[in-house]
Amino acid sequence: MRRVKRKRRLFHRRKVCRFCADTSVTIDYKDPRTLRFFTTERGKIIPRRVSGNCAKHQRELTRAIKRARTIALMPYAATLSHY
Amino acid sequence: MRRYETVFIMNPELSEDQHQLLFEKLHSLVPKDQGILAKLDEWGHKKLAYQVKKHTRGYYVLMDFCGDGDLVKEIERNLRIDDRVLKFMTVLRDEAVDIEAVKAEIEAAKEQATRPEPAEEATGEGEEKSDAESTGNQEAPAGETELTENTPETSEQEEQEDATS
Repeated sequence: MRRVKRKRRLFHRRKVCRFCADTSVTIDYKDPRTLRFFTTERGKIIPRRVSGNCAKHQRELTRAIKRARTIALMPYAATLSHY
Repeated sequence: MRRYETVFIMNPELSEDQHQLLFEKLHSLVPKDQGILAKLDEWGHKKLAYQVKKHTRGYYVLMDFCGDGDLVKEIERNLRIDDRVLKFMTVLRDEAVDIEAVKAEIEAAKEQATRPEPAEEATGEGEEKSDAESTGNQEAPAGETELTENTPETSEQEEQEDATS
């Protein structure tokens, strides 16, 4: 019982979806600067479980990132020197 | 009528005149299929995230227009043929669009284009202006209200997830 409690305290860190918290931030594929925040330096999309985004916004975000990749605003795979 | 947005990358080594030639072609192309060209926005030279046809830089142009699928087909066909264009992408922005609203928007943009010279001198107002342009379409506020409605639901869900884990 005690252990469980301890575990919870360790792992319970409340993550809030950035786009829900601040509605002024919009997700747009034309704005790679915001999107870059949600990719690793290698260009991979950061999963929801790490970034804490809600499902709706993560969906929009992936779509935007993939669009930005298509039009060469963001890399599909980046070497570290890109950043 | 639908609203589309096409971003295309042009060869950066070309001169302004050659860019202009293509723009003129697009300007003449859009009204042919009863389309409306709302905006032709030049982003200018940008570094590409990866090489496209051996180029590391590109000249980005954003085209915002209303029309039907046939118009998109025609524009994409032209862009594909044109070797000044390195890459393009068309995105559907709105399924149904009010023509009058778009026309009003174009007029407003024109007015802004003639006016902003004094505004640009003040450095703080530059950002506001770009915001106004991007949220100029009427569907944007509708999306925002959706967001605010959804926030309590999602937070509840998260709490449940946390409780189960």
